[in-house]
Amino acid sequence: MRVVVAEDLFLLRDGLVRLLEAHGFEIAATAEDAPGLLTALISKRPDVAIVDVRLPPTFTDDGLRAAIEARGQVPGLPVLVLSQYVEQLYARELLADRAGGVGYLLKDRVFNDDQFVDAVRTVASGGTVMDTEVVAKLLSRRAREETLARLSAREREVLELMAEGRSNSAIAQRLFVTEKAVSKHSTSIFTKLDLAPSDDDNRRVLAVLAYLNG
Amino acid sequence: MSVRAQDLVLPVLAVAAIVAVIRIRARGGTEAAKGRRGRLREFGWCAAVLVLSIMVASTLFSLFGRNNSSWWIVIPIAAAVIVIFWPHLPARIVPVALILYGLSGYVIARDYAAGSMDSYGVMVASGPGIQADLILPQAYAFLLLGGWLVLRSADLVLVRARLWLGPIGRAPLGDQLRTLALLPVVAVLAGLIAPRLWLAGGAALILTPLLVLGVVLLIRRWPKRAAKLATAGLLCAGIAGLVIAAAWRSSMATSATCSASPQPSAQSSAYAPPVKPSSGQPVKPPSPVQLKKVCRPTPQPAFGGGTAADVADVAWGQALPYGAVLVAGQHGADAAGVQGLALLALGTWLAPQTFPRIRRMLGGTPDAELTKRVARLTESRAVAVDTASADLRRLERDLHDGAQARLVALGMNLSAAERLIPTSPEAAIALVAEARKASVRALMELRELVRGVVPPVLADRGLADAVRALALDSPLQVETDIDLPGRVPAPVETACYFAVAELLTNAAKHSGARDARITMSHSDRLLRIEVTDFGLGGADLARGSGLAGVERRLATFDGILAVSSPVGGPTIVVLEVPCVLSSPKTSSY
Repeated sequence: MRVVVAEDLFLLRDGLVRLLEAHGFEIAATAEDAPGLLTALISKRPDVAIVDVRLPPTFTDDGLRAAIEARGQVPGLPVLVLSQYVEQLYARELLADRAGGVGYLLKDRVFNDDQFVDAVRTVASGGTVMDTEVVAKLLSRRAREETLARLSAREREVLELMAEGRSNSAIAQRLFVTEKAVSKHSTSIFTKLDLAPSDDDNRRVLAVLAYLNG
Repeated sequence: MSVRAQDLVLPVLAVAAIVAVIRIRARGGTEAAKGRRGRLREFGWCAAVLVLSIMVASTLFSLFGRNNSSWWIVIPIAAAVIVIFWPHLPARIVPVALILYGLSGYVIARDYAAGSMDSYGVMVASGPGIQADLILPQAYAFLLLGGWLVLRSADLVLVRARLWLGPIGRAPLGDQLRTLALLPVVAVLAGLIAPRLWLAGGAALILTPLLVLGVVLLIRRWPKRAAKLATAGLLCAGIAGLVIAAAWRSSMATSATCSASPQPSAQSSAYAPPVKPSSGQPVKPPSPVQLKKVCRPTPQPAFGGGTAADVADVAWGQALPYGAVLVAGQHGADAAGVQGLALLALGTWLAPQTFPRIRRMLGGTPDAELTKRVARLTESRAVAVDTASADLRRLERDLHDGAQARLVALGMNLSAAERLIPTSPEAAIALVAEARKASVRALMELRELVRGVVPPVLADRGLADAVRALALDSPLQVETDIDLPGRVPAPVETACYFAVAELLTNAAKHSGARDARITMSHSDRLLRIEVTDFGLGGADLARGSGLAGVERRLATFDGILAVSSPVGGPTIVVLEVPCVLSSPKTSSY
């Protein structure tokens, strides 16, 4: 799997590259600023890009904007955005094109190799991975509780974990239920959110989007 | 019939008053002030509307009621109905009604000369009718009182209007008081033009509210300009009084010698051509009839000897209502002179305070405004410095107790793990895992810390998106309407961001609202943010220390905060901070 890594701090970039290579990813290119990232994304067409939000030249949200710009030119280009902070506003902007293949995680999540690599794979395969913090903030909204009131408590737990980018088996393990039960729950979620039957992955993305966008 | 109707009025009003007292007690007072004070105030307004209705009715009766019709009784009845069913309305009706009644006093004084009026204000004639001299001071007083009440109660009329007109009590007290000088000016002006306008097709009915609204707007929105206008108006009105007095004295002298010269400038009728208030000189040449009247041998002043009819006969050609006096005779002219002098003196006294240029020309006294501003700046600077150093100290403490401590623990864990690797690798692995967790916690704390100093979205995108992010993060359903064409200066941006954050937190915690709205715009070098929640209301700037803190911090930037939070909601908080936008950062990838 070919990856582009954009990170301006050498130590972090190096660490990411080593971690990815250790898990069998091929590094197609690395970038240290936003214009470089955009060029790399357009010319190399990687399977997935791992992008830091804050990049030169302005050291604000250049990385995020470059990623969104690239996805504008190459629809559905899988991008996993890393940041020291997660903001719902940015999450929404990433999800706005409703194309899937998007991830948004805190940098600390890199500490947990396996989970991080899972997230990269999920994004590369068109899934959506949102940081627990984004999901937790969404949950704290009173108004949202009503839009999702149709779901049972267990179904909401499943949807929450889905939004974090976990597979059915991971969810089953986490909730101490069988994988079959999880797939039953997810089918029920899809029905309750009025998502027409199509291939399961796409419906997962749509359910997560419905959840995140309210 | 009319007698019977008259007999009915007092009992009806008494019943109304009693019912109103009961209802007000049950309701617990006005929205503006609950409790005992609110009840008393509300009852005061009700009493005022009842008394006023009797005055208006009896004036109307003496004007039109002579032919035994009794339609005028509708007025006290209406007042009674209002007091019984809508006891909160009189506070809004009385000020405007007072102004209208005051204006009508000028019309009446001019057109229904002595002897034909039985009643105006608190004066009821027992004999041949009351005289203009007694009507005008009352009319003047009504105008002043009404104007003052309108100014005071403008905020009662509409919460929104109050916000639009600007926060109340924020203009320096001196300015507020100086603007009140507009009232006598408007009253004099109204007295001079009202009789003419009134007769010109009731235009005053439309013009009066507009005039009142204009003055209220002027005073509320531009207190400084209003103060200047008031001072200039006082000077002009004073000079006009002196001119009128002088003109009248000379015309008296002329008419006393009974010369047929047109100089005394009599007017042909009550339906007079417009007169320039400043000169008091009518433009139309006098008619022979008027001249004859003017030349009657004993043009006695209204106060002195001579019957009222005499005075009316003589004076009404030229009589001029000027403020509280009717210039219709020797005494009237003298009184006008005295009043003119008083207004002039007031204007002269105010001039150096209102116009800095005059003050500077005079040298002497230090600029009161500047002194006040220096005091405000000193205070807000102290607050700014305190806040900054307190923030730094908090930051230091948080770093010391939080991230630093965790990093020390992390290092210790790692060195312990290093020692343990050869002997017991399992224990070492556990320690390393713990170290990893500690690093995650340290990062989390650092993140929170930085968020409290400069929130990332604010640094990345500026105020507009940062506030949108706040709206998204709030547990309330927050709608945003933001129109900022550029970037707000960084310090203002940060202050405003934390102010909005605080307001949203307050709304989420205390208001019980589910929805809120934030609007933000910039015009005339003023950033304006409005945070509305549709909750219970009842927020108080004095009580909630949070709001006061926000206000103090905004004061550093000359910003202000206004709260409107009637019980029952909604709560609207408006922030206004003067600032200039820089052009938005444009970069494209």
